[in-house]
Amino acid sequence: MANRDIPEINAGSMADIAFLLLIFFLVTTTMDKDTAYVRSIPKKVLVKTPPVDVEKRNICAILANSKNQLMVRGELMSNPDDISERVIEWYTTNEKQNDVTNNFPMYSRISMAEIEAQIASTTKDAEAMENTPNASADIIDFKWKQVQEWENKKKALKLYGRNELPEIQFQAHVRIEVQKATAYELFAKIQSELEEAIFTLRDKASLEIFGESYGVIKKRYDANEGDKTKQAQAREDKDKLDLLKILYPDRFIEVTPKK
Amino acid sequence: MSKFKKEGKKNAPGINTSSLPDIVFMLLFFFMVATTTKDADPSVSVTPPEGIRATDMTPYKQRSEIDFLYLGKPRNAARAAEFNFGYALFLDNVAQPDPGDLYSTNYIRQWKKDKFNSKPPSMTKPIESVITCVKADRDAPTGIIFDIRKELQEIDALTIAYAVRDKSNI
Repeated sequence: MANRDIPEINAGSMADIAFLLLIFFLVTTTMDKDTAYVRSIPKKVLVKTPPVDVEKRNICAILANSKNQLMVRGELMSNPDDISERVIEWYTTNEKQNDVTNNFPMYSRISMAEIEAQIASTTKDAEAMENTPNASADIIDFKWKQVQEWENKKKALKLYGRNELPEIQFQAHVRIEVQKATAYELFAKIQSELEEAIFTLRDKASLEIFGESYGVIKKRYDANEGDKTKQAQAREDKDKLDLLKILYPDRFIEVTPKK
Repeated sequence: MSKFKKEGKKNAPGINTSSLPDIVFMLLFFFMVATTTKDADPSVSVTPPEGIRATDMTPYKQRSEIDFLYLGKPRNAARAAEFNFGYALFLDNVAQPDPGDLYSTNYIRQWKKDKFNSKPPSMTKPIESVITCVKADRDAPTGIIFDIRKELQEIDALTIAYAVRDKSNI
């Protein structure tokens, strides 16, 4: 037989097949992202110690009862959207200038010389503890952690580029107290408002110091963190985020409801 | 004599559709990649509340560093009376002895431990930082969430996430 051309396959129905598959995936795809507020649970305490007295000014208490009524720092609130404003007020009132007469947390301002002195003394402490016979590993660990904390502050102040590092009172915290029957919606709303307050504060500081939005830095850090080729950028962003965290720490306490 | 030849009546030329499959395939691949398969359909109904500035959980999901827990009214309304406040828990990805079974908070410890132990050893995250994401219904009582928190605290799973529907335009 003479050689014949192989007949071409008719691909006209390829589109139909692809369409069929496409429609299947179109219908089954859900594009909703899972979003949530990540919080850490305090470690279980084995040794019961009496609770430390905290000055009233250092607590920003947000209460919600079983009838879903809100109270922030002893004041009833009808509109939960205002929580973030109150939290921002609580953070910033004494930030520039301490005023003993008001009911807001104090700020301490530490200079580089003071930080250096603290590093020296805590390092000496830690070394002394290491040389002590029978010292428990936990305590030595704790001492070195203190040194690390001061080292972090030193780094933060360098990046801050000013003479002093303002820092909110170490006991200052936001306290969320709900009742057992409080609707989850309100609890989530409180979390949302807190997140908004922290974001607003850090964003403002970020724009002032770095000329860049907090959201931008955070997003870039999240994207670069796992990328081995972009570690330098990731480290730089990490330092920036650490500074913002020292300026406005997110210390939230969720109190287990009793009734 | 005109320069342009008047053409006679001619049929409109057919559009070449040979690249149509390519276009459709492109779309198809997009949807195939964007699709994530659900592990289980929760047997409780959950309408999440809204919130802003929530953290996106997608990266944690991709690294499977997250376990989901649903809190809502049982879809089988007749069973609602069996539970505290009428709300039941649904633990993700468990081999349930009875498909209609729902769990109370007593099972959380075992569930979380089992899930942690079943993860590959290459996953080096300690249990403290493996997120437990609670997807609760907007009307669910917060007391149950604190019960969950307490159970997690007992086994040192110290990271919890409260799910919301993010309405901020990022």
